[in-house]
Amino acid sequence: MIDDELQNWIDKSLNETATAEEAQALEERLLGDSAARDHYLNEVYLHSSLRRRFSVDEEQVPSLDIVPNKRRRELVLGVAIAASLALLAGILSLWATDSKSPASITQVFGAYRGDGTAYVVGEQVGQGTQLLDRGLLRLDFLNGARVTIEGPAQFEVTSEMRMVLHRGVVTATIPEAAIGFVVDTTAAQVVDLGTSFGVSVGEDGLTDVCVFDGEVEVTNQTDAAPRVVREGQAVRTSGPSKTIDSVAYETTQFENAWPINSGVLQTTGSMRFVSPGPDFHPGNYEDNEHIIVFPERRDFVSKKELRLDLVDPGEYIISHYDNKPVLPTGRRLTSYLLQLNAYPEGEDPNRRRSVRGQITFSKPIVGVISDDRVLIESEAIFGLPNVTYPSARMIEPRPEGDERPGFDTLILAADRRTLIIELQENPGHLDQVRVLVEAE
Amino acid sequence: MAFQTNDDQSRHEEFVSLYVRNEAAVFSFVMALVKHTADAEDVVQRASVTMWRCFDRFESGTNFRAWAFQIAKNEALNLLSKNKRDRHVFSEKLIAMLADQAEERAGDLDARQRALDFCVENLPPNEHEIVEGCYREGSTIRSFSEQAGVTANKIYKQLNRVRRKLQKCIERRLGLEEVTQ
Repeated sequence: MIDDELQNWIDKSLNETATAEEAQALEERLLGDSAARDHYLNEVYLHSSLRRRFSVDEEQVPSLDIVPNKRRRELVLGVAIAASLALLAGILSLWATDSKSPASITQVFGAYRGDGTAYVVGEQVGQGTQLLDRGLLRLDFLNGARVTIEGPAQFEVTSEMRMVLHRGVVTATIPEAAIGFVVDTTAAQVVDLGTSFGVSVGEDGLTDVCVFDGEVEVTNQTDAAPRVVREGQAVRTSGPSKTIDSVAYETTQFENAWPINSGVLQTTGSMRFVSPGPDFHPGNYEDNEHIIVFPERRDFVSKKELRLDLVDPGEYIISHYDNKPVLPTGRRLTSYLLQLNAYPEGEDPNRRRSVRGQITFSKPIVGVISDDRVLIESEAIFGLPNVTYPSARMIEPRPEGDERPGFDTLILAADRRTLIIELQENPGHLDQVRVLVEAE
Repeated sequence: MAFQTNDDQSRHEEFVSLYVRNEAAVFSFVMALVKHTADAEDVVQRASVTMWRCFDRFESGTNFRAWAFQIAKNEALNLLSKNKRDRHVFSEKLIAMLADQAEERAGDLDARQRALDFCVENLPPNEHEIVEGCYREGSTIRSFSEQAGVTANKIYKQLNRVRRKLQKCIERRLGLEEVTQ
C-alpha cells in the first residue's frame, strides 16, 4: 500500500531534505514492507535516471573518466575505448546473452542489414537496434505475436511484449496471449487490444497507424487520454507533442508486409492482397486488372463438415456435389477469398481477356472451394461476420475435350501451397474462390 | 605496467563494453542503497576500479550485472560503515534487503530507462523545465528556485508532482497497469 506518508518520506529522501527522524521512519517502514521497498526502488530509479539524463554530457562516459588519480592510468585506455564503444551501444547490446531472445526470424525476403549481411531464418533477435536495409522479414515472438517488417527500417525488440520502430513499416498480428503488445515510435505508442494493425514511421518521424482488425490504443502525450482506433480506421501523428489525427483508411503502404503476416508468402502476376476495411463487401470491390486476395477468418476450427472442390495437386474440374471430397471437422484453418470482379469500362465494356496470377501460402492448402453452393455453405463458417457475400459466382473450367479458348483455370501446385489461377474477365460477373489453409 | 593482470587486449575491451552497458544500472542500484548522489558517485567510482582489478575473476558469459551489483554493494557497505553515526544512512540490514530486491529486478532496468526517456520527452515544456532545472549538472533545487524566482518549497512540490506523473507514465508504458481496461 503506497500511502501519502511513505511517499512524503521518499520524496524528502530523494530531495535530500529529510530530517533524521524522517530518515529513520522511512528506514523502519522499508524494513517491514517489501511492497514499500519495491516502490522505493522505482522512485530511486526514476530519480537516478533523471540525474544521469540531465547531468551527463552525452559525449562523455561518466564515472570511468572521474576515477581517482592513482587509478587513472589503468583506465585511460578504457575511457578511450568506452567513448567509442558508447557510440556503438546499439551493436554492443546485440551481444547481450543474459536472457532468451523474445523473438526469432521465421521468414525472410531479400532481407539485408545495413552492412550488407543477410538476415536468415532461425536467427534470434535480441536487444539492440536492428537496421533492416532492404527486404522483408517476419518475426515470431514467443507469445505468438507475429510481426512483419519492411525495410528500410530501424527497429528494436525490447521484450516479448514490446518493440520499437524508429523508421520503416511493420504489420502485426497479435493473438490473445499477446494482447497488450506495444509498438513504440518516436511520435506515439501503439498498444494492441487484440488485433492486427500496421504502423509506419517516415524519415521525419511521421507515424501512421492503420487497424486492419480489432482495435488498438494510440497514445502520444504523457497522461493524455489514449485514442482508441478501431478496425478500418487510421490515425496519423507527426510528433510526440502533436495531435493524433484521423486520416482516411489507406492500406497501400502496408501491402508488402501485411500478406506475410497473414500467412501469404508471395503473390505474383496480377494478384493483389488487400485488407478489408469497415465497409468491405466482396461484391463492392471492383478491379479490372487484378485478382484480389482478402483474408477471412484466421485460426478457426470448423465444427461442420464441408465439401471441397480441389484438395489434391492438379487442376480443378467441375464435379457433382455428392462426389466432392469432405473436409472433416476439428481442423484449425485460415480462410482467404480470391476474387475477380471486373466492371464495364472504356470503348469495349464487354471485352473478354484473362487475368493471371499465383499465390503461395506459408502453410499447406487444405482445400479450394469454387462451386457457388459450397461457397455459400463455407461462408457460414469462414466468412467474415457482417459481410454480405454476393451470389452467384461461377468459375468455368474447361470441360474435358473442349478445345476452345476462354475458360478459367485453377491449379493446385505440387507443393500444396501454391495456387495458379487464370480467370476470364467478364465485366459485371463475379469470380470467387475460397482457399482454406492450415492455421499457423 | 598498467595492465599486469589483464594484459589481454580483448579481455580489456570486453570489460569496457560490459561496463559501459551496465554503468547506468549500477548507478541506480547504488543510489538506492546510499541515497545521496555524491555518495553514490563515490561508490560507483570505487566499484568500477574494483571491478576492473578483479575482472580476471569474472567468468565470461555469466551475468555481469549481477557480479557488478555485488561489488557495488560491498563498496556501499564500506562507505557506510564510515558514516555509521549518520542517522540519514540506511542500516546494513536494510541495504542487504534492498540490494536483494534490486538484484531480482536488475533485468527490468533497461526497459524502465527507455520508458522514462519517452515519458520525459513527452512532458509539457513547463514541467520539462522543472525536472531539467533540478537535475542539471551542478544544479540544486535551491539554486534553481532562486534562479526561477520562486520559493524552494514550491519547486519541491512541483518536482514531486512531475515525478509522480513520470512514474505513472513509466508504469503505463511498462504495462504494469492494466492498459487494456
